[in-house]
Amino acid sequence: MDLRVPSGWFFVLLGLILLGMGVFAPDTRAALTTANVNLYSGACMLVFGLFLLLMAWRATRSKV
Amino acid sequence: MKLAAVDYVILVLYFAFVLGIGWRLRKGISSSGDFLTSGRSVPVWITSLAFIAANLGAVELIGMAASGAKYGIMTAHFYWLGAIPAMLFMGIFMMPFYYGSKARSVPEYLKMRFDEKTRAFNAFSFAVMTILASGISMYALGLLLQLVLGWSFTISVLASAAIVLAYTFLGGLTSAIYNEVLQFLLIVTGFAPLAILAVSKAGGWQGMVGRLQPNMVHAWRYMGSPTENPMGVELFGMIAGLGFVLSFGYWCTNFLVVQRAMAADSMSAARRTPLIGTLPKMILPFIVIMPGIAALALSKMNLGYAFPLKATGGPDYDQALTTLMAQFYPAGMLGVGLTGLMASFMSGMAGNVTAFNTVFTYDIYQSYIRPGAPDRHYLTVGRVTTVAGVILSIGAAYLATRYNNLMDLLQLVFGVVNAPLFATFLLGMFWKRATANGAFAGLSLGTAAAILTLSSTVAEGKGGWIAHLHTFPSQMAQNFWIAIIAFTTSFVISVAVSMVTTPRPDKEMEGLVYGLTKVPRDENAKWYQRPAPLAVTVVILLVILNIWFR
Repeated sequence: MDLRVPSGWFFVLLGLILLGMGVFAPDTRAALTTANVNLYSGACMLVFGLFLLLMAWRATRSKV
Repeated sequence: MKLAAVDYVILVLYFAFVLGIGWRLRKGISSSGDFLTSGRSVPVWITSLAFIAANLGAVELIGMAASGAKYGIMTAHFYWLGAIPAMLFMGIFMMPFYYGSKARSVPEYLKMRFDEKTRAFNAFSFAVMTILASGISMYALGLLLQLVLGWSFTISVLASAAIVLAYTFLGGLTSAIYNEVLQFLLIVTGFAPLAILAVSKAGGWQGMVGRLQPNMVHAWRYMGSPTENPMGVELFGMIAGLGFVLSFGYWCTNFLVVQRAMAADSMSAARRTPLIGTLPKMILPFIVIMPGIAALALSKMNLGYAFPLKATGGPDYDQALTTLMAQFYPAGMLGVGLTGLMASFMSGMAGNVTAFNTVFTYDIYQSYIRPGAPDRHYLTVGRVTTVAGVILSIGAAYLATRYNNLMDLLQLVFGVVNAPLFATFLLGMFWKRATANGAFAGLSLGTAAAILTLSSTVAEGKGGWIAHLHTFPSQMAQNFWIAIIAFTTSFVISVAVSMVTTPRPDKEMEGLVYGLTKVPRDENAKWYQRPAPLAVTVVILLVILNIWFR
């Protein structure tokens, strides 16, 4: 099993949930910050997850 | 702190992935070696991250933020002075013997190099230590979830233990290691935003420097006298105690971490495991310590954030991290942070359980209870021991609820077990004249010296049961000095006894000792895959960090 696949999917899903929160519930804020924390963190996690999946995909292609 | 539905969704999503990884890996297990040592087949980037994740339990995560608030940037010495030099030493100098000896565990190496009694001594003390450590980690998590979220102590302890048991039982060490990597990534992504938000709210590093006492924001400047710095430690105790004995003792001889490197798929990968691990390890203080320092700075800014207090009145440093999460994370990200906390607990506990089952199965059961059985039998024993390890840890967690100085006991056991053991390894690996009786005498008297030092000195009202010969300015200083004394005793006694006992013939020690072992040279490898250039790069970065935060 290539660990990058499950980790990649995990961060993609996590990123999508947070992005969804950031876009559809932008007023969910914490006390000490005015930033849309969910939006930015979600975007970073989505990119990270896609990066892991891309690396895993490249590895399987070069093996064939 | 209140959780929303989305936070629970994230928590459940994470549990599903953790269990899914264990389920997928269950098919790869056909021998006790697959289950207990991963059959030496794990890729190097995975072993490197697991190497540091196994050490990043809930106690460490909460404790490092707490220490950041209590001691300031000096806490980073645990990383930049202690762990990283030790990890470099381990990868470059010690790994060739561990991996090359084909030992399956640290105690087994001791058996090969010295004899049965040294192995037994280490195997038993290590088994007790891992159970205590994993129980206390469980206790700390249960207590925190009860305090912060109002969850039942029993349910959080049992549920998280059940999940750890499920995936280690299914996929053995490989499953523990793979999950440790996912856990590490989640801890970083879950807590890095908190560090960024809290530090920038406190005005960045310069803003924190302006708001806090100068001895909280300088790692080296106030080290001249123990009265000037918050840790109450002087330069020598810090460098010799923490930087040398305790850190090298932990990172170079504790099977919990060494096991991860031993699971690598080649000698070269095993040596690079701790070396590559130093790079993320170097960054960790920014994620785990900085929030603690920022919490203290924020509490002085009239933002409505007050530093958490204990019921008895004093500051409750252990709550620094969770109170910051409540202030900076909205529903959603709060779930990620909380899941990260659970993940750290699981990686710490799984690390202890997988080290415990290997040492028990190979070094206690196969050596003393039933040798010579077919491998299938040891696979079953490994599985049963995994269950037993989890149950014993739960027992230790409940013991901790009754005796709240169990945490101090753990600190003591770490110092007592690891410090003299490091002298044994240093001599065993680099001095072929060291004998079995020398090592055993050093190890036992070193351990005795540690216990004697603790029971005859006092720090912050602790210790001194037998006599009161000396008072240390802080418990930290006492810990460091116990380690220094235990190490020195073990070293000196081992050398003295070795000189008057007969050494083993060189032929028997090939692959076990420096000078009789071919250290592999990776001449064909690219420069960044060779240990030496990697280590030099790390040292340069380390010096820069220490100068920056001096």
